[in-house]
Amino acid sequence: MKKFDSVKYTLLRAVDVSGFKVLDPVVRLAFGEEPPKQLRDIFRFLVVPTTFVLVCLGTWTVIAPRHKTKSGEVPTPEQVWKSLVINDTLNRREDEKEADFQASDADRAATIDEVKELLAARETKAAELKSQLSEIEAATTATQNARVGPLQEEYDRLKSESRERKSQRKLVIEELAEKVANENATSDELLDALREDKRLSEESKVAEKAVKERINKALAEPPVELKAAQMAFNTAANEVQHLKKRLDYLETGNRSLKVAKAEELAVASLAKLDSAEDAAAILASAMSVVRNEEKAAKTAAQNYPRAATIWFQVQRSLFTVFVGFVLAAAIAIPVGIMCGLNRVVMACLTPIISIFKPVSPVVWLLIFQIVVGAFFPNPETHPLFVYCSKLPFIGKLGVNPALIFSACTVAMCALWPALVNTALGVSSVERDHINVARVLRLGLWDRLTKIIIPSALPLVFAGLRISLGVGWMVLIAAEALSSSEGLGKFVWDEYQNGSSHSFANIIFACFVVGIIGFFLDRVMIVLQRLVSFDDGAAAV
Amino acid sequence: MLFFKSSKRFINFTPSCFPSQLGMQLAIRSVRRTLLLNRQRFKQNIIWKLYGVGFLTEQRAPASSASHVASFYVALAAAIAIGLSGSFANAEQLDVEKDELKFGFIKLTDCAPIVIAKEKGFFEEEGLQVEVIAQPNWKQLLDNVITGELDGAHMLSGQPIAATIGFGTKAHIVTAYTLDLNGNGITVSNDVWEQMVENEPSLDSPTPKHPISAAALKPVVQEKLDGGEKLQMGMVFPVSTHNYELRYWLASAGIHPGMYTSEDIKGFTDAEVELSVTPPPQMPATLEAGVISGYCVGEPWNQQAVAKGIGVPVTTNYDIWKNNPEKVFGVTKAWADDNPNTHLAVVKALIRAGKWLDQTGANGELINREEACRLLSKPNYVGADFDVIKNSMTGFFYFQKTDKRAMPDFNVFFKYHASFPWYSDGIWFLTQMRRWGQITEPKPDEWYHKVVKNVYLPRVYLKAAKMLVEEGKLVEADIPKTRDGYRPPTADFIDGIEFDPRKPVEYINKFKIGNKDEMSVATKP
Repeated sequence: MKKFDSVKYTLLRAVDVSGFKVLDPVVRLAFGEEPPKQLRDIFRFLVVPTTFVLVCLGTWTVIAPRHKTKSGEVPTPEQVWKSLVINDTLNRREDEKEADFQASDADRAATIDEVKELLAARETKAAELKSQLSEIEAATTATQNARVGPLQEEYDRLKSESRERKSQRKLVIEELAEKVANENATSDELLDALREDKRLSEESKVAEKAVKERINKALAEPPVELKAAQMAFNTAANEVQHLKKRLDYLETGNRSLKVAKAEELAVASLAKLDSAEDAAAILASAMSVVRNEEKAAKTAAQNYPRAATIWFQVQRSLFTVFVGFVLAAAIAIPVGIMCGLNRVVMACLTPIISIFKPVSPVVWLLIFQIVVGAFFPNPETHPLFVYCSKLPFIGKLGVNPALIFSACTVAMCALWPALVNTALGVSSVERDHINVARVLRLGLWDRLTKIIIPSALPLVFAGLRISLGVGWMVLIAAEALSSSEGLGKFVWDEYQNGSSHSFANIIFACFVVGIIGFFLDRVMIVLQRLVSFDDGAAAV
Repeated sequence: MLFFKSSKRFINFTPSCFPSQLGMQLAIRSVRRTLLLNRQRFKQNIIWKLYGVGFLTEQRAPASSASHVASFYVALAAAIAIGLSGSFANAEQLDVEKDELKFGFIKLTDCAPIVIAKEKGFFEEEGLQVEVIAQPNWKQLLDNVITGELDGAHMLSGQPIAATIGFGTKAHIVTAYTLDLNGNGITVSNDVWEQMVENEPSLDSPTPKHPISAAALKPVVQEKLDGGEKLQMGMVFPVSTHNYELRYWLASAGIHPGMYTSEDIKGFTDAEVELSVTPPPQMPATLEAGVISGYCVGEPWNQQAVAKGIGVPVTTNYDIWKNNPEKVFGVTKAWADDNPNTHLAVVKALIRAGKWLDQTGANGELINREEACRLLSKPNYVGADFDVIKNSMTGFFYFQKTDKRAMPDFNVFFKYHASFPWYSDGIWFLTQMRRWGQITEPKPDEWYHKVVKNVYLPRVYLKAAKMLVEEGKLVEADIPKTRDGYRPPTADFIDGIEFDPRKPVEYINKFKIGNKDEMSVATKP
């Protein structure tokens, strides 16, 4: 029993430290501790919130399609889920093409057959869907015509009628004017007639407009089944196109194929070199040999130019925020400690902190683009980027100036919470501890490392946690603006695409950003708990 | 190889820049030999057969016919050298200096040649691996090309010229490939359209007569002015085709769109309608928000307005100027100088992409456009719905939901020698920059010719096209037969004013609204 107890408490502590305290009753229940109380807690803190979230989702599902915007309806949770599937498909396609580009000869033959088979199946399906689509299209046009036809007739009728009435009125008015001239009528009568005319034409215009609007409405709404059929066909056709492209890569664009070709040419030229007799021919074939050798080497080093997909963008965003966060911490912590230790330093920095803290990330980004941009006159050959491109994981992310600008912006905005908290932590070290240090005659370094930093750490981490949250939030804006490949650019590109999926994709990105932000926060909570002494959590 | 290397210098067109006396003799001898071999062919219309030979000489002395004759042999040698270097390329791929490239583009259907060259493997066949990256706006795109972040990009025709003369960001940008002709439309909000219909009853039909002039808009503008407001319209960039087209359309009906001056870089001086910059993809949203009442933009953003029911396209730039140049493929001069073979390879691939895009079937229908639309609709390219992109790209244009018209020439990528970098295209943009005051000083004719020759590189295009002919991927008829790289004078404008590219100053003076220059300036040295 005791053995179980120790497992139980370790688990409970882990749950606590990781910030998932809601799981606490589940753990206790599993070890049979006061089941009624645990069940009650589970109901109150797990079941009720889950139900609430489900109710929210339900409300969303019901309300969303009712709110019609000019860019289409607000996507439902189902559509957002679909956009996850679509984005994952796009990612898979890039993976496949990359694999096809890099495939060795042995793999190639097998894959070609596989792809051909798949292509044939998909092509028949696409053709089927196409015929379905054209049927539905024809039907839609027919119903639309049936609906618009009478309306259009009515509109034309209204138009001609009002035109006729108008001309009649015109005649009457002209007559009246004549009468006024002959003093058979008063000018007031004429004025009234004119006013009446104006009112009547307005009236008929309103009636016409109402019919016109009905026509537009009848034309504006493609039926649901047409949209669905279009989407189904487009999905199938996209897949067919993808498979065709794969075949292209496998059959002609493959890297090893190209290398082999260049090598073959080199060998052929070598043979020519041996048999050539006059100087010009010898030179020409020798040059050809060298050229093709070089070509083969260059081709072998070529990479597949991958289009950025969502998971790659997530990785890159995480990397960017990490760089920015480390930069922010590297500046904020030492400066914060100095501020906390010395009130003069604090007084010097306070105006700077207060002025720059509220500045928008957009402004920082523009400033960094100009200021930091000056350090990279030629990014292609800049040692930093050349070095980064050779690193194992980071090399793939493609570090470029846009990433640096975004990271700097993140750092600039994430700096302040960490700085202020550190200063606060350092300045609020208990007097007793300081006095002990004085008694022990500790030097500055020892005082810092043994007393001040350890006791300030919980607050420092609290600050860093806020910083990371701010940084992640700012990053999306910075990436969107600097078009640094990442989640921010994903959102911006989708906004610019304006396709029928775009809205769902934007909401999807919103969830991706939120979920990642949530986990980043959790990580910081764990770190914070590990360094604080209050509830003994550091023991885990 | 010798020829290949030296041909680069041949194109400088002065005998002194031949690598050596021997080199020159060699070149001339080969010219004679080729002449003998091909006498039959050369006999017919020798000038016309030698593509671009005449205009190559104009590099040194514009519009002087004497120098044509004087440097005829030199140019001839250069042309033949181009051909010979082509035959080297025939056997093997070009020796590209850089094989992994990054090209930028804006989400508009006219980036198609770049996307197609990548997706159809034309770049790869030249030994290039190309990444195609969407850019948020024209300014950033240009900046990225200048800093070297991008190797080249889909650019507005005015951009290389403006950058080179230093209007906006200054940098020497060149172009050897025109991506497309036409492809823009002017859309007004539903509200403005209704008022236009009221002013011009003939417009009140499901299919009104085209071209619609801005005359119907004039009362709307006047009404706003009387109310102390100015009608707001959007265009995509100060040096964009859209800006000039929208101004042209407004001014042709007597509406003043405003002048640029050295202080007023927004171009609002004297404006009756104020034109402001909005990035293309944001146009529909900005129109919907009521910030602007109309815009001029490329596809798919006009069709998007129809699809969303927020506006009515009133005219296309095809009606404003038939077959006007629209976008170009721009690179920096430094990049082009450092990577001549890569540049050639890229232009080769683009020419093939353009030809592929404009390929027609037996009945003259565009057979590859649907596939192109499918590719463009991928989210990492244009990303709009396939069905929206398809509207304009397959030769149709919706003006209203009830008004679908056949416009086979709405997007021209290759037909009419569209992809050739005509000097005359550059001249037109320069004249419009001067007309609206973006060029603040009067300039002589000669200056215009000099600037375009610094920006447009027909020689690179010709060299690439020649190579493709030798490889059997292009036919001779696809290469324009021109003496000097200028299109003939044309009056295919909405107001019928004739544009003679050889007399830019005279052209500027023909307009009622806009700057006018003293004719004496035109001939001033």
